[in-house]
Amino acid sequence: MAKYTAKRVVMALLTLLVVACITFFLMNAIPGNPWLSEKTPSQATIDALNAKYGLDQPLIVQLGKYLGNLLQGDFGVSIKMQKNRPVLDIILEMFPVSAKVGIVAICWAVVVGVPLGCLAAYKRGTWVDSLLRVVCTIGISMPGFVVATILLHTLCGGIEGLKIFPTIFDGTLKSYVLPCAALGFYPMCYLSRQTRTAMLDSINQEYIKTARAKGLKNKKIIFKHALRNALIPVITYLGPQIAFTLCGGLVVEKVFSIPGLGRYFIQSIQNRDYPVIMGTTIFLAAFIIVMNLLVDLAYKLVDPRINLSKGGN
Amino acid sequence: MAEHKRKKTFGSLQPDIEDILSWNELPGDAFEAATTEERENFIQDRKSVSYWADAWRRLRKNTVAMVALCIVVIIALFAFIGPMVVPYTYKQQVRGSESLHPWHYSLEDQKRISDYLEEHNGAGKLTPDEAVEKARAEAAAAGKTLSRVEEAKIRAQANVSQGQTAEEVTQADAVKALGIQSKPFGYSMQELQRKAAGEDVFPHVFGTDEQGRDIMVRVMVGARVSIIVGVCAALLVLVIGALYGSISGYCGGMVDTVMQRIVELIYSIPEMLIILLLSATLKPALEQFQNSGNGPLQNLVTILGPNIIAMFIAFGLLYWVTMSRIIRGQILQLKQQEYVTAARALGAKGGRIIKRHLLPNCVGQIVTTTFLQIPSAIFLESFLSFVGVGVSAPLTSLGSMCSEALSGLTTYPYRLFIPAAILSLLILCLNLFGDGLRDALDPRLKK
Repeated sequence: MAKYTAKRVVMALLTLLVVACITFFLMNAIPGNPWLSEKTPSQATIDALNAKYGLDQPLIVQLGKYLGNLLQGDFGVSIKMQKNRPVLDIILEMFPVSAKVGIVAICWAVVVGVPLGCLAAYKRGTWVDSLLRVVCTIGISMPGFVVATILLHTLCGGIEGLKIFPTIFDGTLKSYVLPCAALGFYPMCYLSRQTRTAMLDSINQEYIKTARAKGLKNKKIIFKHALRNALIPVITYLGPQIAFTLCGGLVVEKVFSIPGLGRYFIQSIQNRDYPVIMGTTIFLAAFIIVMNLLVDLAYKLVDPRINLSKGGN
Repeated sequence: MAEHKRKKTFGSLQPDIEDILSWNELPGDAFEAATTEERENFIQDRKSVSYWADAWRRLRKNTVAMVALCIVVIIALFAFIGPMVVPYTYKQQVRGSESLHPWHYSLEDQKRISDYLEEHNGAGKLTPDEAVEKARAEAAAAGKTLSRVEEAKIRAQANVSQGQTAEEVTQADAVKALGIQSKPFGYSMQELQRKAAGEDVFPHVFGTDEQGRDIMVRVMVGARVSIIVGVCAALLVLVIGALYGSISGYCGGMVDTVMQRIVELIYSIPEMLIILLLSATLKPALEQFQNSGNGPLQNLVTILGPNIIAMFIAFGLLYWVTMSRIIRGQILQLKQQEYVTAARALGAKGGRIIKRHLLPNCVGQIVTTTFLQIPSAIFLESFLSFVGVGVSAPLTSLGSMCSEALSGLTTYPYRLFIPAAILSLLILCLNLFGDGLRDALDPRLKK
């Protein structure tokens, strides 16, 4: 286990380094510079600004310096959008908003999706199963912005007399409801489909036959024996789903005008605010990679049948 | 039958070989050519079912998949044939028909509505200028002139009374009161008059946007862009994934280990972030390249548009990983088979074995995975376009249409819901058909 964990941690760090390098060279490849605005500054000003923020040095030196600072927890300062404010500050201000929406979304997706999947497997072949399958297939085929705008339109005053939720995001509890609902819908449908498949798989296993032969009640078989084993593969989907929810949050943040990190990330790309781009990418990437790592490790812990020496294949 | 010498000696345990051998001697008329009828019957009885015919037979039984296929074909026809039928183009701004709803009232009804509005709102409610004119006329009749202050007062009063829209009768109220039924499709006033004059006017089936562009044509073109992006991205993924996966699987050993470490690395990179960055980076870079000269490559970029190419590159760089893993797994199994050893013994080179023996044997998996890439590529394209780094003006896609319609959602909800519905339907049907295809091509996976 220790060897496997060490290998995965090294791999995660390497991934993060690669992400940092890719991001760095990509954003420097974007034509234009951060100083362009309505009035073009003079060449002397540009040179002075470049010198101030160290943008006049060769890219490799810049990258090396940045990574060195990063190891000490220094994300640099914003050079355009919120001038001279530390990037970490900005991230720590924006991220909680995105994270709150994302966590609530993932939670309700698990709490609703997994039982629905069980129900579909339990009632296999009946109308309940068919209905759930239709709903879930539609759910994974609807892009996030479609779900979000439908909710926004129907429940925020689009239909007369149906203005339950505020149109503008103001941080109150009520304004969180719709973004979370919209964001969690896709993972909910996805998880429910995966749970159903996993349940059907484990119902056909030998140990279920044994349990039946022992004379256990159907409910106990389903919930104690089948579900527990079916949940193991479902856990593996959680890692990518968390990543998806965080990035899918971009769309929901745009529709509901939430001041979250995702929206800020896109604005920073459009503004060529290099340190903000780097900082946000590395932060989000690190978050996603750590989540994936934790889920993978939990997976191996939960299921003792998995051979650790073979690694992630 | 020919005469044989008797060799049988009493008590011998030797079998009569001559006799046994003679069994092989068949008379000349023992065989006769089958009649054509017999031949055909035989062929029909033992007709060999090819892999694809078998898959097609299974697929045809799957009603859901077939319905999904039909819908996909209909949407594709709508997207590719539609723009040829409709006389408008996606960037043509039709003068005088801005912001049309997808319904209209006939000329007589419009007259009734405006009469009704005049009747209920017209009297007493004047625009500020009209009020001033009226007051001036009255003053002139009384032999006085109005001072500037008085004029301003009148103007302000008129403004206030105009602002009280709550009491004003709107068009919707008029329609309700008169019981007028709206007719489908959008026409502007001029178009209705031209139509009344006997001209053939093509309706704006889904209305027009605020710049007078026909929404139906834009939806068609948007769907076309989405389908093209989906198919091309899937093919790109197929080529890269198949090449990488088969080389990695076939070579094995050190090569495989290194190649798989790279795959693992790319697999754990959060792709959405990188794709966002990539499309933002590549778009201006490609635009620069496009303007740099007039070679064949530059023309290609112009035809496809830099946004779409940027998306292809992003897709090609990151999304082949799953495909390569699937193909590697298949190849690892298949390369132990005897026919591969036989081919190698005959002196076939690695490339030939992969191309002629290994890949054709995992074609089912390849087709299914490629097909399921299409909806996911469309999904991603719409996501990028919606966020604003995908397809951009003047070209349109379903995602960017939704993004544009977001600002006017309350007034023109259908501008968002029409492209959104078509997008969702397209992805849904592609997913359903892909599932059906998987069941048909690999019956072992069927649950």
